[in-house]
Amino acid sequence: MSVQSYQLSDYLEKLPGTTFRKLYQQPSTALAIFRRMLPHLAKVFVQGMLYMPWPLPLSDLDKWVNPDGKMARDRALMTLRSLHIITITPPGKDKPQEISLTTNFKKSLRSAFEGSGDHLSFGLPSTRPIDPSINITFLDRYARKKWEDILHYVVNSVGGETSSSRLAAAGPKASVKDLLIAGRLVERRSDTKTGIAITQAGFTFLLQEANAQVWTLLLLWLEAVDRSSASNTTGLDSVDMLSFLFMLGSLDLGRAYDTEALTESRRNMLPSLVDFGLIYIPRDTRQYFPTRLATTLTSSASALRSVSSGFAAATHNNSADVTSIGTPEASNSKGSIVIETNYRLYAYTSSPLQIAVLALFATLHMRFPGMVSGRLTRDSIRRAISYGITADQIISYLAAHAHEQMVRTAAALGRPVLPPTVVDQIRLWQLENERMSTQAGFLFKDFDSVEEYTALSSYAEEIGVLEWKSDKKGLFFVSKYEQIRDYLKSRKSAK
Amino acid sequence: MPRAVRGVLITCEPAIKSIIVHLDSENHDIIIEDLDETHLFVKENMIQVLKAKLEEHLKETYRPEEPLQDSDKEY
Repeated sequence: MSVQSYQLSDYLEKLPGTTFRKLYQQPSTALAIFRRMLPHLAKVFVQGMLYMPWPLPLSDLDKWVNPDGKMARDRALMTLRSLHIITITPPGKDKPQEISLTTNFKKSLRSAFEGSGDHLSFGLPSTRPIDPSINITFLDRYARKKWEDILHYVVNSVGGETSSSRLAAAGPKASVKDLLIAGRLVERRSDTKTGIAITQAGFTFLLQEANAQVWTLLLLWLEAVDRSSASNTTGLDSVDMLSFLFMLGSLDLGRAYDTEALTESRRNMLPSLVDFGLIYIPRDTRQYFPTRLATTLTSSASALRSVSSGFAAATHNNSADVTSIGTPEASNSKGSIVIETNYRLYAYTSSPLQIAVLALFATLHMRFPGMVSGRLTRDSIRRAISYGITADQIISYLAAHAHEQMVRTAAALGRPVLPPTVVDQIRLWQLENERMSTQAGFLFKDFDSVEEYTALSSYAEEIGVLEWKSDKKGLFFVSKYEQIRDYLKSRKSAK
Repeated sequence: MPRAVRGVLITCEPAIKSIIVHLDSENHDIIIEDLDETHLFVKENMIQVLKAKLEEHLKETYRPEEPLQDSDKEY
């Protein structure tokens, strides 16, 4: 069983339509959603409809799509609808179905593309003098340090010999710690050295790509605010916060922005964002600098350093003891793991972060300066899986961090980077553990007619939510029901 | 009017399915609907209990072999 960590799309899907209308008032939000959340075909639809003066008949949209791309079309439309970007009129007898972009989204996206309006949605660059020492290198180092502190805090909660008191003493601000605890990435336990222990969600979090990690943490924060705003203490509004985050994603790295141009409530968010390392605020100026963590929030490319380079950076922090013994810089973003067909594993690293992560799914035998060795065993993989790590996560982690030499040899011989035997065996070990797969959702039953069953089940299949069906019993199972309910309603009213 | 029932779809081998059916037969508090040979529809809140019970049941019957033993032990 794997614990899926919290993702932006899940969060957005739960928001009501009124929230979307508010969000889409900001051009930066509309642009961010357009850039990050939409599949390619959906982007094409939006671009095509953006400057249409009147609604488009649904039948005309079909001409844009290859006949065999019907499924892709339906999925694109489903995504657009769930994000409240388009509205489709219900089918009626006298009028064909029409599709149009929602007003706020259309207006905001147009203005984002044209650069029109004075909405300050993309931030106001500061006109004050800028300290020349604050350049991109500085900001990268600053953001990395902040983020690594958070990761170290989570990793150290694994306990064991990898955590040192030096690392435990540093760490992120108390507010961030509280957030990690509230988000159940770690939990308080008195039986560990640091007083906290990592949870399954925490493991999944660690193995995520940095961009996903940032969003996970930010969404935890939004939820925490949502909860406390019920008791009305913080004065923060999660909708405004979300739209501020989208705005941060559209700012330029290495540029100073004016804090005066921000609303009161957004200025109140700044200290927390500093704690996460998303922005940097120099002392005694009315400026803030977005870091790379912030500016890549809404780009789909993982421009941000991956976990591997995160490790590299961590290695770099300890470079004093690495370089002193003459180990080649295992850092820069190159991989460091060698894995052999006999399941032995060698990693050229002295980063406590990377060693702790390796120890999650491998049995480590020896540690040298600058290198650890161990092997993958059935027990070590099983243990990892019981933490909620999946075989695919392990495999992709190993592949992403494979040593340069492995990549080169594999490329020369035209073989995959990881030995296929090892990859297969990791998968088999997982299968052995997971004798059944589970999927939460809804079972549809008691149809009035065969025809109704056929129509609904084939619609479910088209929009990609159908998981199982039995024509004989007249039952089907779907992962989501909202669209089907709407479809059912529109069918009823059409009659 | 069709109804939608909330729950969890389980996909597994027929052998595992028969074990689950057996576990359910004690109290009938797990399965909502027996779908087919390899699918079951069960109550959402019983998943953790079911997993624990299944694990326990399999422990008694299932002894996999280590795929590889080599001379790693001496150090």
